[in-house]
Amino acid sequence: MTQTPLTGGRPADTRDGKTPTGFLGRLDRDLRTAIALLAISFVLIAASRVLGPNFGSFAQMKAILVISSFLMVVAFGQQMVILLGGLDLSVASMMTLGGVLAFKWIGGSDSAVLWGVPAILAITAALGACSGIGVSLVKIPPFIMTLAMGVILYGVTLGFTQGTPTGQPSAALSALFARTALGTPILYLMVLGTAAGCFMQMRTSFGRKVYALGTNPTAAYVAGLPVHRLAIATYAMSGASAGLAGILMLGYVRGVTLTLGQSYLLPSVAAVVIGGTSIVGGRGNYLGAAAGAILLTTLSTIVSSLGIAEGWRTIIYGAVIFVALVLLRDDLALLIRRSGFRSKKQP
Amino acid sequence: MNHSLPSADSNAVLRPDPWYRRALGDGTTIIVVILAVLMVIFAATQSDALSAMVLTDILNNSLPLALAAAGGTLVVLTRGFDLSVAGVVSLTNVLVAVHGGSGPWGALEGAAIAMAAGALVGAINGYLVAYWNLQSIALTLATMIVCSGVTLLILDAPGGDVSDFMTYAMTDRIGHLVPVALVIAGVAYAIWRVLRRTDWGVGLYATGADETAAVLAGVKVKRVKLIAYMLAGVCYGLAGFMLTALTSTGTPNAGEPYLLLVFAAIALGGTSFSGGRGGVAGSLLGALTLTLLQKVLFSTGVSSFYTGIFQGVVMIAAVVVAVFFARVSTRGEIHA
Repeated sequence: MTQTPLTGGRPADTRDGKTPTGFLGRLDRDLRTAIALLAISFVLIAASRVLGPNFGSFAQMKAILVISSFLMVVAFGQQMVILLGGLDLSVASMMTLGGVLAFKWIGGSDSAVLWGVPAILAITAALGACSGIGVSLVKIPPFIMTLAMGVILYGVTLGFTQGTPTGQPSAALSALFARTALGTPILYLMVLGTAAGCFMQMRTSFGRKVYALGTNPTAAYVAGLPVHRLAIATYAMSGASAGLAGILMLGYVRGVTLTLGQSYLLPSVAAVVIGGTSIVGGRGNYLGAAAGAILLTTLSTIVSSLGIAEGWRTIIYGAVIFVALVLLRDDLALLIRRSGFRSKKQP
Repeated sequence: MNHSLPSADSNAVLRPDPWYRRALGDGTTIIVVILAVLMVIFAATQSDALSAMVLTDILNNSLPLALAAAGGTLVVLTRGFDLSVAGVVSLTNVLVAVHGGSGPWGALEGAAIAMAAGALVGAINGYLVAYWNLQSIALTLATMIVCSGVTLLILDAPGGDVSDFMTYAMTDRIGHLVPVALVIAGVAYAIWRVLRRTDWGVGLYATGADETAAVLAGVKVKRVKLIAYMLAGVCYGLAGFMLTALTSTGTPNAGEPYLLLVFAAIALGGTSFSGGRGGVAGSLLGALTLTLLQKVLFSTGVSSFYTGIFQGVVMIAAVVVAVFFARVSTRGEIHA
């Protein structure tokens, strides 16, 4: 009996008697998504060779990876929150706050890194936890709570800096981005961080509980999971990731502005969603989000070096995201099979 | 659905809850109260607050946001997020500034262009979300980016030529009494009340409340969503048109602040983000409240550095109060 899937839900795993064949088919869906995204990035970089001798080179690939580190860090926290079924719109302000505080406290003195970084992470985590309390205990919709938190934080940052952040660049942080004989330190940290993030999500009990809570909050509650503590911890993690990204930004740019986090808000959501995480929660992997972050950074870097009007560049950027979304549809496989059956359908 | 427990009496009648109970649960009441409080503060701190000129000014400033919020409400009611509002408002703002004609017919022409452009973007959004099952937040984000790109192609710096009729007559009062903005908002709301009673309107709430149940009940969910996104696009187009009248110029990134403000207005108005509850009235009032809040903060002398904090606090407070009262009012409800 043919069953038409209800339009509401997404057909998660359509088993119609055919097992996936081939190496790629047998891989986990999330891994497939991540590989696809990285492949697209690679193709884009290789194709950009036509733009000039500096493009499409190994050095450019490394440079793009370094720049994408910020988005990758922010996307980690955003992905944890989205796994829970929520959304964190305060990451832009948290990132700015992290950068501004780092500029003030860590700048100029290398030893300050030891107490400064944990302090800033603790502050942004605590602020994130406030969002978590609002979402989980007071039942404020995450969109509004994090939006308000972001607006409030921006106002606070604006207020205490009086419009102009003061401080100094930090040599210790900048060293992370220096090109040494063994490579750029940040790249090793990125690999370690990605591995640690994936491990935490898939293998620790905390990670599994977050997936459970995102998949079905009622069932998680009935099963006795500490739903409030999980939510608060997740939002705290998101705040801390954004703060960390802000601190790293200081190392790369050697200065801060009050708008440094702004261009990371929507791309962080886009990276997570393109990476295969469902916006209603419960599905997705950090590997996908990291690959999504790399793709978006690659795209914006290459597109901005095209010598065409800004309007066309923006359209291309949006169009590629659009294509990525369409290609990564869950029910694409189902659709392809169904279109093959259409000619055999009874009237 | 509000009904009291039937008594053991065989002649038991299902009666709706008393009016005060229903009013508490309706998110619109909350926003009306907040609005009233703000008006009082405003009147107290600014001498000419209640003059026709100032009131018209407030209405004019909040109309674009109100129209955009009305459109966004339709999508939120289906449990979706339409981020393309920023892109469409910018696009139509620029289109009207560049292609709008002069005089009343020119204004009508501009409005038609704006609504058509908005409907087109809305149709694309709606089709892809409803029929291709793409996630609304990601898709409308992509659409917004493409729209802002197209906007830059049309006009890459503030400019355009806006007719005098639009600049002066559309922001004026009819017969020195009724602001045009108020009339437009009223007409939009009246259209909504009519649409709400159609099959589509009922289907809209059903889809948002429980999509699976709606499908099983025979609601054409895909068509409902498509129409919702299209109408939302029309509203955004109209908002961009009014923005052109208000600012008398076309700005390529005019719609950017609308992205978050629209959702703030929707939340303030009591529409639930999990779909199925709320309405356009609340969002219209929410937009008015946000605009008024900015003016109140300015007139009470709060430094512009801190306005953001107050806006955020008011948003949270409004939603907390709305959630609290919604729960209070449904305590007597029977759940299946």
